[in-house]
Amino acid sequence: MSESYVCFSDFLFKFLVIGSAGTGKSCLLHQFIENKFKAESSHTIGVEFGSKVVNVGGRSVKLQIWDTAGQERFRSVTRSYYRGAAGALLVYDITSRETYNALTNWLTDARTLASPNIIILLVGNKKDLEDDREVTFLEASRFAQENELMFLETSALSGENVEEAFLKCAKSILAKIETGELDPERIGSGIQYGDASFRRLNRQQQQQRRPECSC
Amino acid sequence: MDITKKIKSFVARQGSRSPCSPVEPLVSRDFVIETAVVKEKDDYRESTINPQAEAEILQSIEEVYFNDDTFDACDYQLKKIPAELDLNQIIRDKEYLQKQQYVVSKKVSDLILQNQTAYTQELHRVTELQKNLEQAGVICSQGRSHLARARKDFTTASLGILASFRKRERLLGLLKFLHSIKTMQETDVRLRELLEEEDYPGAIQLCLECQKAAIQFRHYKCISELSSKLQDTLEMMEEKLDVALSKVCTNFNTTHYEKLQAAYRLLGKTQTAMDQLLMHFASAIHNKAFTLVLGYVELCAGGSATKFQKHHYSELAKLITVETFTPCLKDLCKALWEVMHSYWCIVEWHEDHDSQSSQVNAGTEVNLTHQYVRQKLEHGLLRIWQDVQQKVKTYILASDLSSFKFDEFIHILDLVRRLIDIGEEFCNSKSEDLQESLRKQSVNYFRNYHRGCMEELRMFLENESWALCPVRPNFSILQLQEFRFLRHNHSRSILTPPSSPAHSKTESTSFSGRPREGYFQGYRYQGNPFEEKTEEEDKEDVLAPSTTDEGDGQPLSDTDSEDEDVADELKKEYVDEKTGDTPNNRQQRTTRKTSTSSRRRQILILTNTTLNVLRLFGKYMQMMNLLKPIAFDVLICMSQLFDYYMFSVYTFFYREMDFSENALSNKLRTTLKRIRENLILAESESDFGTDTRNKDKVPAPVLSTMVDLKSIEQLYGLAERVTAAESLVFLANQFEFLHPHLETFIPSSKKAFLQQFCSQTILTAPELRRPIYMTVAARGVDYNQVLMLMNCVKWDVHDIMSQHSYYVDILLRELQVFSMRLLEVNKKTPIPKEASDILWEHCIRLANRTFIEGFSQSKKCTNEGRALMQLDYQQFLTKVEGLTDLRLVPERELVEGYIKAFYLLEPALEQWIRSHREYTPKQLIGLVSCVTQLNKKGRQKLISLIEEGDKIRR
Repeated sequence: MSESYVCFSDFLFKFLVIGSAGTGKSCLLHQFIENKFKAESSHTIGVEFGSKVVNVGGRSVKLQIWDTAGQERFRSVTRSYYRGAAGALLVYDITSRETYNALTNWLTDARTLASPNIIILLVGNKKDLEDDREVTFLEASRFAQENELMFLETSALSGENVEEAFLKCAKSILAKIETGELDPERIGSGIQYGDASFRRLNRQQQQQRRPECSC
Repeated sequence: MDITKKIKSFVARQGSRSPCSPVEPLVSRDFVIETAVVKEKDDYRESTINPQAEAEILQSIEEVYFNDDTFDACDYQLKKIPAELDLNQIIRDKEYLQKQQYVVSKKVSDLILQNQTAYTQELHRVTELQKNLEQAGVICSQGRSHLARARKDFTTASLGILASFRKRERLLGLLKFLHSIKTMQETDVRLRELLEEEDYPGAIQLCLECQKAAIQFRHYKCISELSSKLQDTLEMMEEKLDVALSKVCTNFNTTHYEKLQAAYRLLGKTQTAMDQLLMHFASAIHNKAFTLVLGYVELCAGGSATKFQKHHYSELAKLITVETFTPCLKDLCKALWEVMHSYWCIVEWHEDHDSQSSQVNAGTEVNLTHQYVRQKLEHGLLRIWQDVQQKVKTYILASDLSSFKFDEFIHILDLVRRLIDIGEEFCNSKSEDLQESLRKQSVNYFRNYHRGCMEELRMFLENESWALCPVRPNFSILQLQEFRFLRHNHSRSILTPPSSPAHSKTESTSFSGRPREGYFQGYRYQGNPFEEKTEEEDKEDVLAPSTTDEGDGQPLSDTDSEDEDVADELKKEYVDEKTGDTPNNRQQRTTRKTSTSSRRRQILILTNTTLNVLRLFGKYMQMMNLLKPIAFDVLICMSQLFDYYMFSVYTFFYREMDFSENALSNKLRTTLKRIRENLILAESESDFGTDTRNKDKVPAPVLSTMVDLKSIEQLYGLAERVTAAESLVFLANQFEFLHPHLETFIPSSKKAFLQQFCSQTILTAPELRRPIYMTVAARGVDYNQVLMLMNCVKWDVHDIMSQHSYYVDILLRELQVFSMRLLEVNKKTPIPKEASDILWEHCIRLANRTFIEGFSQSKKCTNEGRALMQLDYQQFLTKVEGLTDLRLVPERELVEGYIKAFYLLEPALEQWIRSHREYTPKQLIGLVSCVTQLNKKGRQKLISLIEEGDKIRR
């Protein structure tokens, strides 16, 4: 949020958290950022925002995470935030088949509205409520495989796998950048060089090159 | 001793005498009997001699034989023998001597026989006598022994007794001394015991008594050692007492302290003790703070921790990590509170105690001491608070809190605020130091926080699709979590004027959990004011007052929150059915806020970003509430949020159009200029904010690529424009609604700023609507096409036309299309009346302009042509009224006036030209050039008049 750590990050990734209402998207984000469970939470209105600098494979990456409202009536508001997202956490509630069934729609939305290269991680939240489980791990992982998604089951209550989910997604993006599959320079990639000094460095290099050219 | 000797010799003498006496007579008697028997034998042989002869013989016995015992007969006879031995003579002599011996023997025997009876008698008597004598001897010896006893008993003994008694007395005395000496020696142990039991007065009492006793027994050698030892003990005791006194600093205990005071009183060192106590407090504060911070630093540093010991406190404070800052601060506050609380207890103890005792004994010295103590304690209050403040201040300022989470920062503020309250209660201190450090950190934090917020706001704005964020019609910002605190405050401020100091006092203190009777009384026996915080902390609304005032007129907070949990969705968000629209307090508030009742029926137009800004408003206001000293800085930042939002709307939806700026009012233009200059980072300097001036500036936002402002079908992004402009108006209204609350937060000297901001920025915000919508009106209808068609119309007809011209139909169709598109957009995004009014007004205005422009193009015109113009315009008017619900067609008289001016005669025309400056010179010249009744000269004159007027206008 503050400049103090902006200047330490190498990359900035735009992330989305999507999924049906009540699956615990905001809680996941809160747990990820504050390391606390937000017990008293209400439905998200529109879109909320959070950011955190994480260390992925020796690089510091600032995640700019948009936490969208799951309710249908906000769809028009939230859609606009899909564009240019580099990664998304697609969340369903393991105790609610309904939210699982809606995944296909969410997925289509994400793939069409965001960039087609978007890295999506399927998240089965509320892992702590094992007794009320309606969606098995196997079933969901098969779905993930079929749709080329990564998959994790998490608990925003206990914090289990929460950080891992974000990190895994970021790691996968970073890997694609390194292999050249993703180009940070491309507009709408959802990836930016994180900080002014990085750019400055680039520019300095360019400036250094320039006299050579003129020679 | 003499006595025993005497007794002994006495006894010995007695002993040696008594066994001898009875033996003597027995020996002599045996002897007598023996000799008597021998004499009887001789008597038998010599009985033949006649008594006569016997007598003679007897006579003849030489005298010498009767001499004493020493006479040796043998020697005598031998000497008598002559030199010439004559045997006969010898025999004769022998016979003679035999005869003599016989006679003598006989005589003796006779005598013995003769005297036998007498002898027996005599013997008997002698025996008797002997018996008597023996008896007498016994009696005598008894008597002697009695006598001896008597002598012993009555003289030696009594003297001895006396002597012994005296001795005993003396020994007893000695024993007593010895006992006390022994006790004194044992005192040491006892003293130690007492000290262990912490019975200092007892110990000192004892020690002093011992010393007194020691002085008495000075003459004993062992005592001098003891007394020096006692002196040592006393000194040691004082040291112990000192240690005990130092413990009072952190853990006051009435009985304990009473003992200590009594002890010092005994030592006569009450005053010194006070000085000492203050010193202890100073060091206790230092030590506590130091060890605590050190502990945390070591904890963070892990294993190799010894190196920190030698660091200075302020250096240590700098080593505190972000994670441990708050717990450490809390512990620090707790520890310092304990010290202060102890001090407070001491003060109270002295007040109670000294007043009691000075009533009892009005002795001047006692009073003087008490006075001294009181003064000392009073001075101490300030000094201690100063120390505490210093420690906390150093600690707080050592860390950079700017990266802290908002809630955590608020928590820290609350802790310090609480400390300040305590300080005020402690010594009426205003705690300038702490306030200052709080202010510094707050400003620092807040700047950083604000930068973050602006950055975030920019991101929101740049991602904003300017789509309507659906909320329910009676939505009020008070429903937002961030404004919860206001809900309570708000209900209060209705009842009591917010300016009343008492009110604001209770408000500012009540949420920090101050007990009604003050901290020191409230936490007198147990607890720590910094402890309770942890319980409160977990509750969501930290900032809301924990108690609701009675008779507050509002539903109890319990039911309120419960209500919210249950019907959260209903309340917070937009629901299509109006069933949830039950009138309640909140809605009334909404009504009051939105001021126009017509608005209530409408859907509120706001964007996701608007909500975000509102949330930030809430957070900022919480900050203002908590951070009174920097409230004004916060307010300025809050105004920047609004500025930025407004500027964004302006840039996104106004500036992108190639419009001349004159569509803005002067006021609005100045406001936007101000924003651009103060807040927006110019592109040329956008890269590095090295310049401090630009540090708080933000880059101008860029409109999200999602928003399409080019499509005519979408009426050039009308939906987005409406959402943007109306959300800005909504935001302005909210700000206006918050205005009175904001006023209570800032010092009255700064109210002018708020006033100015409201009048210059907030109130001008709705003015942005016009230019934003105007663009749509200008582009939504193709006026140029119409103008071109008008150019083809012949105005120099000579018949009165009954049919209006074709271009009017085209124009009307254009408008119809526009109207349909408007309806289409309206389906997606409700277009408020304000917006459609502006749109239509502008459309018609532009249509009117087109008419005038078109009319002015005519080179030649007849009266019939003029009538056609009127007919055309009339047609337009009748049809357009069906399209819009505008009551009045704007600038209608402008068109009509222009048409009718054709009929005017020269002087009237001149007058008309002078008074109608709203037409362009070109239009006026067009008019003049086609007027038929003018001669060339008159036309020339009017044209020059128009050109002059144009110059003047410029």
